[in-house]
Amino acid sequence: MTSKFYKRLFLLPGLLLLIAIIIFPLLFTIRVSMANWNVSHSGLDWAGGANWARMFHDVNFWSSLFRLFYFSFITTTLQYILGFTAAMYAWKGFASRRFFRVLWLVPLMTTPSVMAIVWRSIFREDIGAANGLLSKIGIDPIAWSTQIFPATVTITIAEVWQWTPFMFLILLAGLLSLPKEQFLSAEIDGATPWRTFWSITFPLMAPISIGAIIIRLIEASKIFDSIFNLTSAGPGNSTETPAYYLYTRGLREFQISYGATMGLMYLILAILTLTILGQIFARVSKPRGI
Amino acid sequence: MKGSTVNLDLRSVSVDTETEVILKDISFKFEPGKIYVLIGRTTSGKTSLMRTIAGLIEPTDGEIHLGEERLDEVPIWDRGIAMVYQQFINYPHRTVLNNVEFPLLRAGVSKADAKAQALAMLEKVGLSEFKDRKPSQLSGGQQQRVAIARALVRNTRVILLDEPLMNLDYKLREQLREEFRTLFKGTADSVTIYATTEPSEALFLGDELLVMHEGRVIQHGKPDFVFENPSSIDVAQIVNDPPMTILDAEIKDGKVNIGNLITFPTPAHLKSEKDGKYKIGTRASEVILGGSESNSEEGTVSLSEVSGSETLLYVKLNVGEVVLQLEGIHDYQIGQAVTISLAPNRIFLFNMDGTLCAAPGN
Repeated sequence: MTSKFYKRLFLLPGLLLLIAIIIFPLLFTIRVSMANWNVSHSGLDWAGGANWARMFHDVNFWSSLFRLFYFSFITTTLQYILGFTAAMYAWKGFASRRFFRVLWLVPLMTTPSVMAIVWRSIFREDIGAANGLLSKIGIDPIAWSTQIFPATVTITIAEVWQWTPFMFLILLAGLLSLPKEQFLSAEIDGATPWRTFWSITFPLMAPISIGAIIIRLIEASKIFDSIFNLTSAGPGNSTETPAYYLYTRGLREFQISYGATMGLMYLILAILTLTILGQIFARVSKPRGI
Repeated sequence: MKGSTVNLDLRSVSVDTETEVILKDISFKFEPGKIYVLIGRTTSGKTSLMRTIAGLIEPTDGEIHLGEERLDEVPIWDRGIAMVYQQFINYPHRTVLNNVEFPLLRAGVSKADAKAQALAMLEKVGLSEFKDRKPSQLSGGQQQRVAIARALVRNTRVILLDEPLMNLDYKLREQLREEFRTLFKGTADSVTIYATTEPSEALFLGDELLVMHEGRVIQHGKPDFVFENPSSIDVAQIVNDPPMTILDAEIKDGKVNIGNLITFPTPAHLKSEKDGKYKIGTRASEVILGGSESNSEEGTVSLSEVSGSETLLYVKLNVGEVVLQLEGIHDYQIGQAVTISLAPNRIFLFNMDGTLCAAPGN
């Protein structure tokens, strides 16, 4: 009984867990994607690359991916800008910081799917609060869920509302951790508050910003509950994202093999995109020495 | 601004918070071309005074004028002031060159000019070869040089240096102190204010000394004058390092008695003082080890420490503790018995309320 044996023995539970929850499902999914498992035919027969070929020609899948790019990009950008602004306000102590901090956390404490239902009632075309407010200022009611653009806006608003506090929290923590001296000395060096923000605060916050943005992008790519509850991917499939499309094909229509194929493709694209983004962020921030 | 004399004029400036007084009624006129040294203990208000001039603290009372301008009403970034801090504060995400360019660019200097001036300044402080490094890749002394270059490059009307050598080691401190004299010589249009706790720095650098204590300026004047004629025990303690030893004494019948054991005939400079109770002060470097006459007393060493090339000896006597500074490095044990005597002609005499009564002169 060498110490090496014990080392391995103690690592075993973790390794088994890893195999059970990641490695086996991943390998199994790859195998499933090469079978014909669907509602009328179960089991692991061999279909070769049929599902993969089908996916590459599936317009719905690819357009859902582009839609996802749009949603993640827009919502994350808005969340970042709003979250950063709010964090700056709280940091500078303009508003009562503690009160604001608590207030800003309310959306984070709510259940997203419950909130989606609340948003749906707000955006209801007949009795919703959104149209009610618009009519007060003389704007005609908007068909929130039956037109493509308003439906997109609805989801964007719900997502931004739900997750801006997350940005706020991380960015505020980042701001609070910055050394104060640089800001004082920038002011003395003649930098206006606006200048100080762009020359000092923003670059110093780059590492934290990048972290927060990447976390939000990962989260945003899973967007499902708000779409499910707000628009059900409609009108038509105009607000359908990969997660929703996978759910429809794989679980609702029970095309397990095809769902597995798309899931794998989605995984590959997500890893690629995030890696590339990570590289770009690193390169953008490096010349500034962060 | 060149050539004109723009005075920095503080008119009864006070700063207080709800709980404490930070600066109390400070009025002083600073003239350009001189180095003013603020000396005081750590919480005496030196930093607060500088921050008030810079605009980081708003005075609760009083006015600050710079020439015709009412400085305390100008936003910080428009004040045209440079400041170097005790900590080495630079912009960590910018290169050394970009750091030094920063204040120039903010002042509206063109990019090319800013670069040229920054490079010239880096040459002056001896950092040319490090211009493309980040501050974190420099040593402490070099980082502080970057901060100093950043402060001097803009040629501001007021330069504030808040204990800039504090966090450096002994050797670097002496080296930079030396450089400061030449660096600040070229700033004839600027008011230079330098805060320190070190009397040696004050004597070395200052054209004018302001002694600060508990938020007030308690004495000002030429450094050697203040050093020879401290107006009170507080000043004497602040401008001497180690602090002056203060003992209770009595003048009676042409003799000075210190705790009944040390007695000597009243020295010449104290002859005109009336009989009565006083406090006497003696500098650590002027206390004598040994002596067999009546003016000596035996005590025990309570602490012995080597500081640079000197040894400080804290000796417990019946009358109190005496600090003694010896040239060279000596080995003393705690509890060891030593005999101490005072140099009568080097005694400072203070009234019981702490004000100076007579100084030994040069």
